[in-house]
Amino acid sequence: MINLARRDIEHTLGKFVVTAMGVGMLLGIVLIMIGVYRGLIVEAEVLLDDINADLWIVQENTMGPFAESSRVYEDFKDIIYVMRGIDKSEAMTFQNIQLPHKDKPVRAVAVGYDIYGKISPINPNRLIEGRELKNDHYEIVVTNKSGFKLNDKIKLGRNFYTVVGVTHKSVYSNGDPLVYISLKDAQELQFLYSNKEIQNNTARGVKNSDSVLVNAIVATVKPGFNINEVANEIKKWQHKSVYTAKEQKEILTKNLVERSSKQIGLFTIILVVVSTIIIALIIYTMTLEKMKEISIMKLMGLPNSLIVSMIVKETLILGIFAFVFGNIFSHLTYDKFPKLVVLYAYDALLLFGVIVVASVLASFVGVKKVISADPAAAIGG
Amino acid sequence: MSNTAIKVQNLVKNFGKGDSLVRVIENASFEIQKGEIVALIAPSGAGKTTLLMMIGCVLEPTSGEIWLGEERVYGNKWVAKDTRKIRREKIGFIFQAHYLIPFLNIIENVTLLPQANGVSEKISKEKAMELLKYLEIDDKAYNMSSQLSGGQNQRVAIARALANNPQIILADEPTAALDGERSVSVIKMLKKIAREQNVAIITVTHDDRILPYCDKIMKIENRTIVFQDSDERII
Ligand SMILES: Nc1ncnc2c1ncn2[C@@H]1O[C@H](COP(=O)(O)OP(=O)(O)OP(=O)(O)O)[C@@H](O)[C@H]1O
Ligand SMILES: [Mg+2]
Repeated sequence: MINLARRDIEHTLGKFVVTAMGVGMLLGIVLIMIGVYRGLIVEAEVLLDDINADLWIVQENTMGPFAESSRVYEDFKDIIYVMRGIDKSEAMTFQNIQLPHKDKPVRAVAVGYDIYGKISPINPNRLIEGRELKNDHYEIVVTNKSGFKLNDKIKLGRNFYTVVGVTHKSVYSNGDPLVYISLKDAQELQFLYSNKEIQNNTARGVKNSDSVLVNAIVATVKPGFNINEVANEIKKWQHKSVYTAKEQKEILTKNLVERSSKQIGLFTIILVVVSTIIIALIIYTMTLEKMKEISIMKLMGLPNSLIVSMIVKETLILGIFAFVFGNIFSHLTYDKFPKLVVLYAYDALLLFGVIVVASVLASFVGVKKVISADPAAAIGG
Repeated sequence: MSNTAIKVQNLVKNFGKGDSLVRVIENASFEIQKGEIVALIAPSGAGKTTLLMMIGCVLEPTSGEIWLGEERVYGNKWVAKDTRKIRREKIGFIFQAHYLIPFLNIIENVTLLPQANGVSEKISKEKAMELLKYLEIDDKAYNMSSQLSGGQNQRVAIARALANNPQIILADEPTAALDGERSVSVIKMLKKIAREQNVAIITVTHDDRILPYCDKIMKIENRTIVFQDSDERII
């Protein structure tokens, strides 16, 4: 049987391709939107994955250190360390800082860690230049997106820090770049009072504690121990909130990116619906343009199935072309977006399924037109 | 086996209802034999196209009876279950304009219907080439209709109408778009087809020059069918 859809498309190829490219761009935007959503999730998990701790021990009744502020004493890590089943435990700080840069300060999240400790938040795979921190003071590792380069000097507080290492793709869950400083420096920046303030406090009778604070204790569990049991043990005896890596991830994705992801999800759904409507309109006008031929075919006695299959096939081919263009478009542009865009083949496939269904739905308007077409209309009465 | 190709009895066609009722055909009865070419003449608006479309199972009559060959297709309602199948298998249509499908080439236009009837691509193409040769247009088989002249396209339209081996050809002013010489050659061709393939042909025309080539002349007068013997017939 003659492939009517193919012949018709070949006959108006240029127009068809341009139309498919237009719809394709729309689908490309859908793919980018999904990619932005995926990027949010990936970014939210970068820091957690890099630290790779089994347990997060934070201030009691808080969802710290990311969703709520949390303070625990640094030496608490030693108490954790001696508990049954604990392999390693370290103290860490997380704080928002502004790094002075040429024209405008760079907002970043500084991770403070014990450079002599056994858990490092710096994933060696991300280190593209220089090294990790070696000295207790005034060294900093930055991520390349922060705009700083190796050996740059950055003024933080009262001191200049030297960039000794550069990582890539290190971002905090909100997309801010990550920088790493020693725990001592971080504590100084976050908790240290000026001499004047200490004097004032002493005058007011407030005791300045000698103990040093951090935001969280992270720990790993020895093989063979159940992580949840160890966590419960700590909760029971130490009056702290304890989260497993999985729970911490949930806090991050649920609490921090949930609203943005819903926003993006809704936006994506609207875009898909709009694309479907646009495809439907295109198919409708394409069908209208062929009304004369369709009436003739009906008059000659061609069965509806043949004409309907032409319309449905054309819609599907349009959808497939548009999908291919959409993928090309999204792959050409995704890395130009300021925030991470992650394109998964899985998402593209899912969208493909949606487009196929949408195309078939969209072709209904054309099909309806075909079925209601009057064969006698072909010859104008 | 009867030799009757078309039999119409007490056919009535009204359009509209009540005040806007238009009576077009009233009590038309006639028969057309296989191998006959019949001219249908009447003033504009008399109901020529309406009559052809009823015989062609495109337009539903108001009442009456229609037989196509042995098959009673209409008897106050459609008797045939699938009127489109009847059109596809028994009837060839030719119109004033060629109405070829613009996105198909010539041979595809001619083979479309046979292929929809289940004839293989190879056989339908062979038959189409034969028809195109017969109509002296085979050199354009792989052109698009937009690359052909009006007369050439009309010949392709005739080939298309013949491609499904119809028992009946219904032609609505097939020569209106052609010059005198071409009109005569088309009508001669139709006559030849009627004779050689034993096909019944009704052709609507306003052109006196082609009447002599027809076996009978059918008129619509006072909303009914009357025959007039053609005075100078060419057999
Ligand atoms: N769908 C319709 N609804 C109402 N009236 C119609 C319809 N189709 C045709 N008519 C009327 O039926 C009558 C016959 O129309 P028809 O088209 O058969 O004429 P015709 O003889 O073919 O004319 P022409 O030579 O101009 O083609 C006309 O009066 C026309 O207005
Ligand atoms: Mg007419």
